[in-house]
Amino acid sequence: MRIIVPVKQILDPRGITVRRDKERIFVNQEEYILDPGSKAALEAALRLKEAALDAAGGWEILALCAGKAQADDALREALAMGCDAAYLLCDKAFEDADISATARILTAAIQKLEGADLVITGRESGDTGAGQIGPRLAEALGMAQVTDVHTASLVEGGLRAVRRWADGFCAVVAQLPVLLTVAPVAFPPRYPLGARVMSAYREWQVPVWDAAELGLDEAALAPLLSFRRESFPPPLDIGERFEGDPAGMAEDILAALRAQKTVR
Amino acid sequence: MDFSFLDEELEESSAPLQQIGSGYRNIWVVAEAAGHALVPASLEAMGQARDLADQIGCYVFAVLLGDDLEALGEELAGYGAERVLLAEDPALAEYQAETWAHVLAGLVNEMRPEIVLMPATSLGNDLAPRLAQKLGTGLISHCVALEVDMTERLLLGTYGVLGGEVFHTLTCPEARPQMATLQPGAFRKPRAGGVRGEIQKVDVDLEGVGARLVREGAVPAVDLPPVPLSKARIVVSAGRGMQDSAGFAMVTRLAEALGGVVAGSRGALDAGWIDEEQVIGAGGLSVAPDLYIACGVSGDVYHYFGVQGAKFIVAINSDPVAPIMKVAHMAVVGDARQVIPAMLEAMA
Repeated sequence: MRIIVPVKQILDPRGITVRRDKERIFVNQEEYILDPGSKAALEAALRLKEAALDAAGGWEILALCAGKAQADDALREALAMGCDAAYLLCDKAFEDADISATARILTAAIQKLEGADLVITGRESGDTGAGQIGPRLAEALGMAQVTDVHTASLVEGGLRAVRRWADGFCAVVAQLPVLLTVAPVAFPPRYPLGARVMSAYREWQVPVWDAAELGLDEAALAPLLSFRRESFPPPLDIGERFEGDPAGMAEDILAALRAQKTVR
Repeated sequence: MDFSFLDEELEESSAPLQQIGSGYRNIWVVAEAAGHALVPASLEAMGQARDLADQIGCYVFAVLLGDDLEALGEELAGYGAERVLLAEDPALAEYQAETWAHVLAGLVNEMRPEIVLMPATSLGNDLAPRLAQKLGTGLISHCVALEVDMTERLLLGTYGVLGGEVFHTLTCPEARPQMATLQPGAFRKPRAGGVRGEIQKVDVDLEGVGARLVREGAVPAVDLPPVPLSKARIVVSAGRGMQDSAGFAMVTRLAEALGGVVAGSRGALDAGWIDEEQVIGAGGLSVAPDLYIACGVSGDVYHYFGVQGAKFIVAINSDPVAPIMKVAHMAVVGDARQVIPAMLEAMA
């Protein structure tokens, strides 16, 4: 069984403050982290391996990351969590890549690795949150897909997954190979073992593949989407007062929460 | 002066402009039904498609996939579409990303819509990126606003990043069709009436594609691991103003109803309602949830230190001059022991 987990490195949102009133984003601390969705994907892959009886033989979990040189750190973390190998897909030509170009880079790398039984990604990343990479990869690789997966287990004839569907959950059984995107809440990631963290940096190698090695030319890397502008929601007023009878105030609160999409 | 060089320039620059988007017309909405009813988010997409179509001067097509769709098609025809396309086949009765994307890609390649919209529901989020990849075009996901740049006839899609604190606007300048998914609830639902569309059944070609998923159907909710307080999106906290354990129980119920996590002030710790690790404020935990509801918490500066990262603060307190009331976005002057039950009742 071979599982490939494409991961993403993002700017840590905890180091970012958005000032709606100043219409600016302040980066207080520029720190890059392994995306929470990617961590959940790694966790899901590791759990499948651990649940399998024949985990000792013939299991391989590979992590891939398309990013800048610093994404090496994200892959070392994936190795420390328990991956068997990691590959960094890095080239100056990748820097303008949008989602579709990133899908092409990852597809080329997965094909170079001669495919997988399972590809697992996060449902969406913590920064852009577009949630496109999974289904785009599935299509490009000709695989079936199950998105927003909350539990996954290998069964006779494939993989059984429980996914969120509208307001509820539904179960599907997929033949392999299949691509899963997982819900971060359902797979809280483990902490890497200290010894593995040491090994990840000292012993293991993370090969770097560039555009030439992946056989990607300029046309394949051309972005389809173009950035137009950034804008900010109006600042929220502070200290707006609500008075009256409890039922009326309760309705005021719920109306505000509905407007913010916190409750339906 | 010789301006002949301008002619050359113009010729060069205008040639690709004519090619881009030429032959692509009309706006499609891929509508979704659950059982025998159209999903509300599909109707919102219909309303938005109508507005855009009136602006750029084209028709709205609604597309439905499934089996035995006539009744749904009739209903959809009343929501501002000039035409409703029905792709009917027993093999489409159940949603499968691969078969649906295959059929839709065939229709798009044949009829060449300029814009394809879908609601960002479970189905839309599963299908739209796959279809975009198949068509080799761009997709703008989870849009909360759509507009058209008339100079280039470009669809501009705006969506929230960083938890909705910032908006990004993207376009798809060259590839066609332009695709977007629409965040449910972000667009108004149209009133039925107005244009009455005609219904057209289209041929379904399912050659070379089959379902590779077997649906077992609905299952009970998955037990999710508890969210740690530091990562909770919604935090409901109790303070001394809740008076007794019965009051604290109301706070717990409110947190459950909202899908949030319970916390408290140092006062709640002293009263024995919460543990040390649930205390918010300086010396305790700092949180940055999307929503923080302080119930009967006076909120001195030490407490505020722990919640200043919250995006939206609601304070419920009978003391109108409590410090928390000056920093909250909503300062609700009232007894939390009366307001919370009223909220729970209204949500039930």
